[in-house]
Amino acid sequence: MEWMITADEPGRTYLMQGNEAIARGALEAGIRFAAAYPGSPSSEILAMLGHVAEKMDLYAEWSTNETCALEACLGASFARVRSLCIMKQNGLLVVGDALHSASLSGVKGGLVLVVADDPSAHSSTNEFDSRHQARSAGLPMLEPANMQEAKDMVKWGYELSEQLQQLVMVRTVTRINHGRSSVSLGELPKEKPDPVTIGEWDRMVAINWFKDAQIAKIDQAKSIFETSPFNEYKGPEEPDMIIVTCGTGWLYSSEAVEALGLRDRIGILKIGTTYPLPEDFIVKHLLKTKKVLVIEEVDPFLEQNIAGIIAYHPELQVELLGRYGGKAMPRNGELNPDIVRNTLARLTGTAFTGPETAVIPPEEAVALPARELTFCAGCPHRASFFLLKQTLRIQEGQGVVMGDIGCYTMGGQRAGHYLYNFLCCMGGGINAAEGMGQLTRFGFKQPVLALAGDSTFFHSCLPGLVNAKYHDSNMLFVVLDNSATAMTGFQPHPGIGQTAMGKAAEPISIKKVAEAIGCPVTVADPFDISGTTSKVYDLLKQPGLKVLILKQECATLVVRKREKPRVWVDQELCRGDDCGCGRFCSRIWGCPGNIWDYEAGKAKIDEVVCVGCGVCISLCPAGAIKMEGGGACG
Amino acid sequence: MPGGMDLKNEVFQSSTCALCGACLDWCPYIANMEDHLVMRFDCNVGEGRCYAVCPRTYADWQAIGDRYLPDTPRNIEIGPYFNVFRVKAAAGIKGQQDGGTVSNLVKTIMEDELAQAVLLTGSEDHVTPEPFLAVDIDDIEKAAGSRFLASPGLRKIIEAQANKVQKLAVVGRPCQIQALRKMDFNRRPDKPPLDLITIGLFCMWSLGWDFNEYLQKNFPGEKILSLGIPQHGFVVKTDKGEHILPLDEVKKFNKAGCGYCLDMTSELADISVGAFEAEKGWNTVIVRSAKGQELLDKAVEKDYLICADYPEEELNRLKGASIGKKNRNLNNIQAAFDKGVKPFIDLNSEMYAQVRKLAEGMVK
Ligand SMILES: Cc1cc2nc3c(=O)[nH]c(=O)nc-3n(C[C@H](O)[C@H](O)[C@H](O)COP(=O)(O)OP(=O)(O)OC[C@H]3O[C@@H](n4cnc5c(N)ncnc54)[C@H](O)[C@@H]3O)c2cc1C
Ligand code: SF4
Ligand code: SF4
Repeated sequence: MEWMITADEPGRTYLMQGNEAIARGALEAGIRFAAAYPGSPSSEILAMLGHVAEKMDLYAEWSTNETCALEACLGASFARVRSLCIMKQNGLLVVGDALHSASLSGVKGGLVLVVADDPSAHSSTNEFDSRHQARSAGLPMLEPANMQEAKDMVKWGYELSEQLQQLVMVRTVTRINHGRSSVSLGELPKEKPDPVTIGEWDRMVAINWFKDAQIAKIDQAKSIFETSPFNEYKGPEEPDMIIVTCGTGWLYSSEAVEALGLRDRIGILKIGTTYPLPEDFIVKHLLKTKKVLVIEEVDPFLEQNIAGIIAYHPELQVELLGRYGGKAMPRNGELNPDIVRNTLARLTGTAFTGPETAVIPPEEAVALPARELTFCAGCPHRASFFLLKQTLRIQEGQGVVMGDIGCYTMGGQRAGHYLYNFLCCMGGGINAAEGMGQLTRFGFKQPVLALAGDSTFFHSCLPGLVNAKYHDSNMLFVVLDNSATAMTGFQPHPGIGQTAMGKAAEPISIKKVAEAIGCPVTVADPFDISGTTSKVYDLLKQPGLKVLILKQECATLVVRKREKPRVWVDQELCRGDDCGCGRFCSRIWGCPGNIWDYEAGKAKIDEVVCVGCGVCISLCPAGAIKMEGGGACG
Repeated sequence: MPGGMDLKNEVFQSSTCALCGACLDWCPYIANMEDHLVMRFDCNVGEGRCYAVCPRTYADWQAIGDRYLPDTPRNIEIGPYFNVFRVKAAAGIKGQQDGGTVSNLVKTIMEDELAQAVLLTGSEDHVTPEPFLAVDIDDIEKAAGSRFLASPGLRKIIEAQANKVQKLAVVGRPCQIQALRKMDFNRRPDKPPLDLITIGLFCMWSLGWDFNEYLQKNFPGEKILSLGIPQHGFVVKTDKGEHILPLDEVKKFNKAGCGYCLDMTSELADISVGAFEAEKGWNTVIVRSAKGQELLDKAVEKDYLICADYPEEELNRLKGASIGKKNRNLNNIQAAFDKGVKPFIDLNSEMYAQVRKLAEGMVK
């Protein structure tokens, strides 16, 4: 909440979400620049900074993609302005080149990169562990174990960054970003320095000459970390076992030790500086024991770096356990207090007598209706997938569909009639289609389609579109333009006409961009199922690269803007189960607004859920679905 | 009776579909564009009207013939008939294919109100078939001339029913006449019988829609005026002149489903009309029912049609052509069944044995 992150009340404690704490930490550090690309679980940070930007005298933008965001921050840093860059773990892979280069050039104004990992990939296609990138790029990385640390580490990150003249990374996981705990506020700076003049001989260039300097910086970080208060040991002087942990693992471990009454037998070594590791500090403590268990989210990163330390220190005689090999801990998936406690109980031969956490006995559990992941009522994607599926079936050429990342990724499941054959990363669809579309010369006959949402179009499809056009690939590129980055919460993008700071901007027309590249562009309304089906059918006959923009506003935005018409089923006309349509409206079309009235044995509209798009009217063979009143769609 | 997915598996996927259009009806699962007819989404209805009406699912065609043409003398070669005539229009109609007989029979139906609507197939480009329900004499000219591309015209039956048409006349290809009969034969007992006048065309095969692209590629910018198959090849008349395509070249575009068709002369129609090969500008007309005879009589009475005797040798030639098609396609059917396509006729029946014997005699 914005008032909390801007509250000028040093020492006051608030219950804060991790993302709020991060934004607060950056404000306490006096940032004047923030850039991000939305992605769960990190999206709220920049959204909040955008809202308070003016008040807090800073600039915030939703960049077109993560590389734009990071390099924009480098630009600000060059002028000695403190900047914050935010992304999720997938985004960190997008910026790989920028990251590895920036670590050579270093920074001038403090630059902290917050990257939010998504263990178990709840809202991602993978659960990549971003700590590998810190090590690979040779950048210091901090890992908060609670919300207070999230704020403090971000703030301290700026001091560290400026001391080292290096970019500093802060890694969080979903439970930190979205969890809440109490945070005591620090001071907000009264004044922020203005950008400096860049002199003729000032440089910030990434080139391998600076490799030695980069190594020196990471070595310096290591020696600073040796005495960092973010690393601490708590436990007996001669423990049976030491748990080395970071992030949420620290909380789970502390709870487990308490619950099992192992405080006298087990020590906990909490590491807040996960790269580079404070080697001497770790060796000093591991000498106390013969057994080490590492508890961390996603990959055995900490664990294997400790394995490295053990290899260099023959004086350490310890058995190392963790996620590696999957024997002590599950190799894959998000951890929780139960997993950690059960592991600890097993390894120490202790029995747990208290109540199970988070487990509701089956007789008390409220039965939640089984709901599958689907598009919202009135979502244009439902219509787009419906008509694309039927066109490909009608066309009988076994069209191959390359999917992409966004709400419409769900189109690869039942909601989209399992349309996709291929899914990779953002911008992956158009490139794969370009490649397959080149196989025509070897007799490949199937039509090739790529899909992308409007936000993804700007994020990573432009080079692909240029490539496909220049090499005249035989493919149809379909842009699902719902005028929103709906998946992550409606952050504006260049096609929308609004910035993160709520200012109007001239929207960039996807149609004009594609036309300027030289592509023939067709714009069609996905709600006009039969008309647009014919258009797609005709486009598939044409050779070369074609662009189709399926334009219709995201239903969630439409409801906010227009008076809702009433859609209902005339049950006199609906033929019910006698129809032979097999409940086409609710079963095949599948909008949550189309339901079955079991009492009447007829179809029905859930008028609370329905947003009045009216598409199902055109699909009912009996003409039983009717509409009255309301404003027109998009 | 099985349902939609069975139709998909047995007919669509084995490419035996004749594209008659009977299955389309108001079904939201089966969809059609050009000559594609598919299951656009998977149907879960166990029993389907689509399966019951399709001419490519199992039917006892003899029993169907017995129901609709009970008193007509049987004939193995060209189906049950009373009479065969040579017929042509007294005053021709613009764009007519051969003798203009069909158009004038339709005109008679409309004038005498024998039906409230007539299902015709026309189009302005003279190539792509567009089925429509004609109610006006002016509509007849729009459909004059043959569109050799297959079209699922029977999808219009639903429109006729929605418009409360009680008496309907249909001009259709043999597969379409078969489907119409099957529609009534397998109709649900609570549904009223179809009140139809059926004018069947002769048909050796129809073409896939890729033939249209072929025409556009070969005669770019030319406006096609008519397509025809006189003896010397496939004739394409355009605003720039006349092109003759070798028949073998055109046959490459034959609809796969036509290879399983055993009916050349619309054997279940009230009246069948085709070309009269011996003399241009005439039709061959086969009268199969009292309804058909009445219609022909009325058209002659009105002086719309001239009707003459049919030469014996031409009748033999016609029967030979029909047996030739049956025999060829029986072989295709046998081969398809051998490959696992679900049998849709009883290949061991006496009738097909006789066809084979007659065909053998012809070769000798
Ligand atoms: C696909 C096809 C194949 C044919 N093959 C042969 C053949 O092998 N031997 C032979 O003797 N005759 C064949 N005919 C019939 C022949 O072309 C003439 O239609 C027939 O001789 C009647 O001529 P007409 O002058 O009376 O027709 P017109 O008076 O010109 O009337 C033509 C009628 O044909 C109908 N029609 C046109 N195209 C189609 C179509 N695709 N599907 C259904 N109805 C249509 C129209 O509704 C119109 O009423 C075929 C016709 C078609 C459509
Ligand atoms: S033959 Fe006719 S009824 Fe059978 S599948 Fe084809 S179009 Fe449908
Ligand atoms: S050949 Fe048979 S299946 Fe093909 S269009 Fe003619 S009547 Fe129909």
